[in-house]
Amino acid sequence: MSLLEVRGITMRFGGLTAVDDVSFNVDQGQIFAVIGPNGAGKTTLFNAITGVYEPTEGSVRFRGSPVRLEPDARLGLRAAMVAILAGLSAFLAINIQELWSVGIAANYVLNQPFPWGKAAGDALDAARAVPFAWGVLPAILGAGVGAGTVVALWQRSRRTPDLIARAGLARTFQNIRLFTDLSLVENVLVGMDSRMRSGFWTNLLRLPSFSRERTWTEREALELLEFVGLSERAHEAAGSLPYGHRRRLEIARALASKPAVLLLDEPAAGMNPSEVVDLMELIRRVRDRGVTVILIEHHMKLVMGISDRIVVLQYGKLIGQGTPAEIRADRRCVEAYLGTEGEG
Amino acid sequence: MRRVPVPILAYFAVMAALPLFMGASGLFYDAFQAIFVFSLVGLGLNVVTGFTGLLNLGMAAFMAIGAYTFAILTSDIYPFQIGFWWGILATVAIGAVAGFLLGAPTLGLSGDYLAIVTMGFGEITLDVLKNLDAVTKGTQGINPLPRPTFGSWSLDLQEERGWYWLLLGFVLLAVLAVRRLERSRSGRAWLSIREDALASQCMGIPPKLTKMIAFATGSALAALGGALFAALLSSTGEPASYDFQVSILALCIVIVGGMGSVAGTLVGAVVMVGMNSLVLVKLADWAGAAGVGNASNVLASPNNWKYLIFGLALILVVRLKPDGLLPPRLEGSAS
Repeated sequence: MSLLEVRGITMRFGGLTAVDDVSFNVDQGQIFAVIGPNGAGKTTLFNAITGVYEPTEGSVRFRGSPVRLEPDARLGLRAAMVAILAGLSAFLAINIQELWSVGIAANYVLNQPFPWGKAAGDALDAARAVPFAWGVLPAILGAGVGAGTVVALWQRSRRTPDLIARAGLARTFQNIRLFTDLSLVENVLVGMDSRMRSGFWTNLLRLPSFSRERTWTEREALELLEFVGLSERAHEAAGSLPYGHRRRLEIARALASKPAVLLLDEPAAGMNPSEVVDLMELIRRVRDRGVTVILIEHHMKLVMGISDRIVVLQYGKLIGQGTPAEIRADRRCVEAYLGTEGEG
Repeated sequence: MRRVPVPILAYFAVMAALPLFMGASGLFYDAFQAIFVFSLVGLGLNVVTGFTGLLNLGMAAFMAIGAYTFAILTSDIYPFQIGFWWGILATVAIGAVAGFLLGAPTLGLSGDYLAIVTMGFGEITLDVLKNLDAVTKGTQGINPLPRPTFGSWSLDLQEERGWYWLLLGFVLLAVLAVRRLERSRSGRAWLSIREDALASQCMGIPPKLTKMIAFATGSALAALGGALFAALLSSTGEPASYDFQVSILALCIVIVGGMGSVAGTLVGAVVMVGMNSLVLVKLADWAGAAGVGNASNVLASPNNWKYLIFGLALILVVRLKPDGLLPPRLEGSAS
C-alpha cells in the first residue's frame, strides 16, 4: 500500500477542467515530482490534495484511508444541543416577557424572601398555556433550523486543510505565505500547533504544563531553524527576510508538525543557481529525516537531480510517469515540457 | 528572551500614583473611570480585531449584555441578588457565551460581511433591551446596583479613589490575561489567522474554533467593562448608552493606539476617552465661563466636537502613523 494514493482526481471550475482524472501513488520515503508547463494544473492538484479545494471527482487516500470526517456520535450530540438551544431561544424570544411577569415580577416583593418553587410553577403553567402557534411551533422550527445548520456546516467542512495538515500532510505555497509580522521562531511554532496540547485555560492560568510545553517547543523550533540555516535570525520578523530565506522558513514551518508528507510548491522559483544547489541539498536532508517529499518544480536540473519518481501533467491530464531516466526517454513528455530537439 | 514590557509597567505605575496628587474627587476621576472602562472594552476588541483581524462593529452590544446581566443578577429589584463579585464572574462568563454563540454561525463569514453582522447585532441588542421592558425596564435602565464589598467593608459610590483603583485593578487583570494569551499557543493561532488565514489553516489550525475563542475572549472583556460601567453609575443607564458610537469609540481606541498592541490600547483609551471626558468638558467649562459658548447652538458647544475630533484623530493616525501610536513589537526583538 502506498503512503498517498491519488485516485481519479478531477477539478472543474465552471466550464474549465483544470485537473482531469489524475491518478498516481506516492511511496514512503520518495522524492516525488510533479512537472508540467504553466497552467497544467499542478498547483490545483496540490490544492485538491491538501483540502484547499474539494475535488469535483475522485479521492485522495492517505495511509489507506480518505482523510475526512465521518458522521459520528459527536456530530449527533452537537446537532441535538444546538436544536434544543435554538428551539428554546425561539420559544423564549416570543414569550419571555409573559413568563418573566408571571414567574418573577408577580412573585417578588422587595426585601422579602423569594418563593422559588411557586415562581417556577407559575412560569411553567404560563409556558403550558402558550398557544401552539406561539409556543410549540416556533420551538420546532427553531430546533429544525438549528440542527439543519449544524449538519449543513459540517457537510461543508468534512475535508478542510486543517484536518489534512493534522493527519500529516504539510505544505508550502507557490507565492510564499509566511506570517510576516511574526518572528521566525513564532512562524515555526505556529507550524507546531498540531503537536501542542496546552489549551486556553492552561495558557491563561500558566499552569505547569504550559512552561514544560513552551520549553520543548521553543527548543525544537530553534533546532528546525538551525536545520534550514536560519537560526541566527530567529527573533527577527519573517517579513524582514530576503526572498531565498523565506522559502527555507516556509519549509521549517511545514516540517514543524512532523509531517509524513511534505508538499513543496515550486520551492526553487526565483532562486539563483547556487541557492538551487543548497535547496536540493536541503530537500535531500528532509527526505533523510523520513519525510516523503512531493514537489512541483520547473527547475529541471533540480527535478532530474533529486527525484525518485516524476509525473508529467499537461492541460490537466497526466501524460506520463516514471523515473527521471524514463521521463527523459518518453517522447511525449519531452515534447510537452522539456522542449523538442533543437529548441535548447 | 522575555522582554520586560516597559510601557505597560510605566503606565500602571503612573496610573496607580496619580490619584495621590489629585485630591479626593473631581472631574479627573470621572474621566479616568471612563478611561479604564473603555480600556477593558478596547482590550477585548484588540483581541478580536487587533490579534485575530476580525472587524467587530458591535462591541457596545457586548458591553450592554454585560451591564444588563450584571444588573439583573445583582439589583435588589430582582430576586437573584447574587452580590457584586459573583455578579462580575457571571457577567464575564455570560459575555463569553454570548460571543461564542454569535460567533458560531457567523465566523464562517469573511471580512466585510462579519463587520455587517456584528453591526446588526449591536442594533438588534439595543432594540431588544428597549422593548423587553418586563425584564430590562425599557428605557429607564435597571437600578440601583450593589457596591463592591471587601469583607464587611463596602465601597461607597462617592469614594472616587477607591473606584479608580478598583477599575485600574480590573484593567491590570485584563492586561495580564490578554498578554498571557498573546504569548501562548492560543495567541499565536489568532495572530496567524490575521496574518494569513489560508496558511494558518494549512498549518493545522482550525479557523472557526480559533476565531470563536477570540470572539468569546473579546466579548467577555467588553461585558466586564459594561458591568463595571453600570456598577459605577449604580444603573445600567438607558439602552442608548450602548449605541453604535460606543462601538466606534472602541474601534478608534484600538486603531489610534495600535492594532494588536496591548500597550497601544491603553494609550488609545487615554487619548480618545480622555479627550472626550476631560479636555472637551474643561473646554466647555471655560467657554461657558468666558461667555463664548452657546449651549443652544450645536456647533458652538465643545461637547459636540467629539465626533469631529474622533474623525480627525482617526484620519491623522491612519495618515501619519498607520500602525498606531504604540505599534506591537516582536517578542524578543532588539528594537
